[in-house]
Amino acid sequence: MMDELEMLKKDWQRKGERLPRLSFDEIYKMIWKKSSSIVKWIFYISILEFVFWTTINVLFTDAESWELFKTLHLYEFTIVLTTINYVILLYFIYKFYVNYRKISFTDSSRNLMKTILNVKRTVTQYVWFNLTVFAVSLVTIIYGSLRYGPDGRKIVDAATQAGNETLFWVLIIGVSVVFVALLLLLVWLFYKLLYGILLKRLRQNYRELKKLEV
Amino acid sequence: MNKELEHQFVTELEENQNIVHKVCTLYTNNREAHNDLFQEITIQLWKAYPKFRGESKFSTWMYRVALNTAITLYRKSRRRIDTQDYDSVIYKIKADEYDPTEEQQLKLMYDAIRQLSDIDKALVFLYLENKDYAEISDTLGITEVNARVKMNRVKNKLRTILNP
Repeated sequence: MMDELEMLKKDWQRKGERLPRLSFDEIYKMIWKKSSSIVKWIFYISILEFVFWTTINVLFTDAESWELFKTLHLYEFTIVLTTINYVILLYFIYKFYVNYRKISFTDSSRNLMKTILNVKRTVTQYVWFNLTVFAVSLVTIIYGSLRYGPDGRKIVDAATQAGNETLFWVLIIGVSVVFVALLLLLVWLFYKLLYGILLKRLRQNYRELKKLEV
Repeated sequence: MNKELEHQFVTELEENQNIVHKVCTLYTNNREAHNDLFQEITIQLWKAYPKFRGESKFSTWMYRVALNTAITLYRKSRRRIDTQDYDSVIYKIKADEYDPTEEQQLKLMYDAIRQLSDIDKALVFLYLENKDYAEISDTLGITEVNARVKMNRVKNKLRTILNP
């Protein structure tokens, strides 16, 4: 076997003569081409996430919504939630930036893969944070509407008259839980697919190197 | 980026382009994919070049960036089975040293290497390029002991593929 490997090595060293050869101009043209690497894709996707969730936050907190929140007795709650939201957004953007800057191709393979996965993790954490906030808001709004909303009162009263108040609340909670769970599942599947395609190879290779260190 | 830096970079890469081509032959299996990967590695090298201060040889520095690009960044383009023409470039042995047995064995070995995982390919590549374990471990980010262990495993793997 050693002999075969030595033979291979010898052949490998001779390989130069059979390799393609690019001219100065051909290489020069290449340095201005756009990279098609996954890091770039992850970067774009991340920017989209930030824009998407910030837009959602802004849309849901226009003047009309504030009036609604007041009538639902959710005014203070929403102020606190929105403030937390923006503070956390800033934190995530900062963390994303720091992690992104750390990506260096002159690093060792293992470190490089780790930093790329870290960038992705930051964004995923941000998405989950938003989904949690979204779920909490949704549940609070459902509850607020039923308690203080004009139609909500009627629905609750009707349920009380029918003598099934407990059952009614159980149903409401049940439906909310199922709805939120379904939503989270969908988003989870979406990300699983997206990053599954993008990062399959990188993850595989990272695991292989990491396995060595155990 | 000024003109001088561009010129310097392209000159050095032109001189050392064999390293990149060799990485490309290991990680791709047709001409188109080879060129794609070559281009991606060139872009990454160029992006990292301003930070290259000559603390190591240009070629040593290239190994890292080229392998890292192949292992982490590059997504295989759609499978294309036109390896026939490509293989002839890689395996052709000069007429005066033609030896049917040796050629056959080499072909078998290159085929076997193609079947290895990305990381194993990187190890074989660094081994074929005569790199010592210190450099191998440094490039991949594993300890020297683990690099040795892994290398032995790869050699065994090749052995089983060659002699089933």
